[in-house]
Amino acid sequence: MSSALAENKNSAESAFFSLHKTFLEKVKPHAELLPLNRSALGRFETLRFPDRKHEMFTFVNTKDLVTSSFSLQTENPVQSEFVRQHVYAGCEQSHLTLVDGILRPDLSDATALGTSVKIESLVEAAKSESVRNSLKISIEQENDVFASINSSFMKQGIGLRVFRNKQVGVPLQILHVSTGSGNGSVMTVPRVFVHLEPLAELKLITKYVGVKGNYFINAVQDFTVEDDAALTYTQVQADPDDAWHFSKNRILLKRNSRFFGCQASNGTRLVRHHSEARLSAPGGELELNGVSVLVEDEQAHNFIRIHHEADHCTSSQHFKNIINDRGRASFDGTVIVDKGAQLTNSGQLIDNLMLSDDGRADCKPNLMIFADDVKCAHGATVGQLDVNQLFYLKTRGLSELVAKKLLTRSFAESIIQKIPFPQVVKELNNTLLKKLEADHG
Amino acid sequence: MLEIKDLYAGFDETEILKGISLSVKKGETHAIMGPNGSGKSTLAKILSGHPSYIVTSGEVLFEGENLLDLSTEERSLAGIFMGFQYPVEIPGVNNAEFLRMAYNARQVNEGKDEVDPLDFDDILQEKMDLLSMESKYKERSCNDGFSGGEKKKNEILQMAILRPLLSVLDETDSGLDIDALRVVADGVNRLKNKDNALILITHYQRLLDHIEPDFVHVLSKGTFVKSGGKDLAHDLEAQGYDWLTPTN
Repeated sequence: MSSALAENKNSAESAFFSLHKTFLEKVKPHAELLPLNRSALGRFETLRFPDRKHEMFTFVNTKDLVTSSFSLQTENPVQSEFVRQHVYAGCEQSHLTLVDGILRPDLSDATALGTSVKIESLVEAAKSESVRNSLKISIEQENDVFASINSSFMKQGIGLRVFRNKQVGVPLQILHVSTGSGNGSVMTVPRVFVHLEPLAELKLITKYVGVKGNYFINAVQDFTVEDDAALTYTQVQADPDDAWHFSKNRILLKRNSRFFGCQASNGTRLVRHHSEARLSAPGGELELNGVSVLVEDEQAHNFIRIHHEADHCTSSQHFKNIINDRGRASFDGTVIVDKGAQLTNSGQLIDNLMLSDDGRADCKPNLMIFADDVKCAHGATVGQLDVNQLFYLKTRGLSELVAKKLLTRSFAESIIQKIPFPQVVKELNNTLLKKLEADHG
Repeated sequence: MLEIKDLYAGFDETEILKGISLSVKKGETHAIMGPNGSGKSTLAKILSGHPSYIVTSGEVLFEGENLLDLSTEERSLAGIFMGFQYPVEIPGVNNAEFLRMAYNARQVNEGKDEVDPLDFDDILQEKMDLLSMESKYKERSCNDGFSGGEKKKNEILQMAILRPLLSVLDETDSGLDIDALRVVADGVNRLKNKDNALILITHYQRLLDHIEPDFVHVLSKGTFVKSGGKDLAHDLEAQGYDWLTPTN
């Protein structure tokens, strides 16, 4: 690293330490969470900001982010109309709004959830020894410095618990609103802890939006899915272009549990999703799908670690990126199959559609297999629109423009259609896919 | 309807067609036969305007207009249909939606109103019945995972939907079992009338047992070496292509 860069990095780290000092002195953490905050700060001290040689950030340049001088977000008003616009049809009575990471009961309505789900503040949730332990272990083992930052500033946030054998019929939406800032960069650290007890089922949609830009949303979500429970999860990233969006999803699957996840990214100046999943007991099923549509200078990066710790588990990943202009996407995904994880069935596929000469896609699919009776596949494609497909459509009378649109849409739609919420699919058809139409003229 | 005059064309820098002339009139069915590599498929691709194939000299007139000046989609809208030897799989593009878009492109070109999905479904169902196609092929992605036979039926379905003046069917019989061949041939025969024309490109005579040609042309090494009536196809089946193939 050059000395100038090292200096930048050191001063960025000093800035974060002093920000944390402000947090301790002025924002005043909860006494119950303070040991966890301190432990996380310790992890931050060990991990430090990444440079380009850092294995986890090979394709993600965080220099502009870490050298920005962030302040902690102070409370800003949000119009209820703004919230209403972003609440999906069907979630009118099952949505929780977090403004800058803080639950706003006045902008939330969870009446449709009845008594199946317990919603509480993170402080309340952390009174349970199992939640506290879970948080403690994850903080101590954290390997992502940005997730450590989230934990070191963790104060607000929510805990969700779906009780044993309760199947929640309506989808629950968590709406993260970042109010942003007109001047200077602000950071928010939303934290959501989701716990499904045995045999519970929940359909969860998380959506990230912003009122103004220039913010750094650094979110962490912990999902614990107990035996035979099932979580259907959709994450929509729709922040303004000048926001930084980092999110980490930590998923723990127990015996015969299921997690079906889909994420859609609109891209910003820098989006990074980190998913870390553990299939800790036999019979777990994990599916992660993602789609991003990037134009101009937008970026979206995925970093995924799936750990098969037990036998008879399945995991599958399918991610697609459409990249136009100078957009950038990367996928760095590793599936680790432990020695005892026999009869694992795992698949990973990344497809990139490049629509311009200046876009860039990096793919790094990895498999680390220590068992000897498993089925694991991985692959990656990077390409342009297929000339034969274009020709075929044109021989049927479709113009070049229409044929290109049709092929580009269909590329993204195969992932979007996997989202089990029609209202989200409809929205993405009108937002993500519209971006392409604007660009193709 | 179609006049090909002394056409030279190729792929990359290889000249494949070396001086072809052919005249097709309304109501006629022409069969173009020939051994592998003789240039049959190249001719089909040239007629439909594949960007990788280059015409070096010669002329192609369609309904009196210079066909070679038209883009692929303009040729389609003008009434030329190409049935692909290897129909292209397009994952993610719903077959019925694609067919409706193609139908509507034709409607708009003819100054007619576009049809909505509901009305189009009636049109589509009628044509699918003609080809004994199961309705599940509406909802699947275009040709994606279709068997060889279903792909070829899907080509003829498109022909039925688009009502072309001239259909060029490139080895439509390949990959079909005898029952599917009969269904496809019956479909083609029903679409045939005195106002349209058909060019069948085939390697074998068996397709011509079901769709009777008015003329048979033998293409070899890029030129027509013999033309005749339907009996020529029988001669070829019995004797092979060697007796017609120029040796050099």
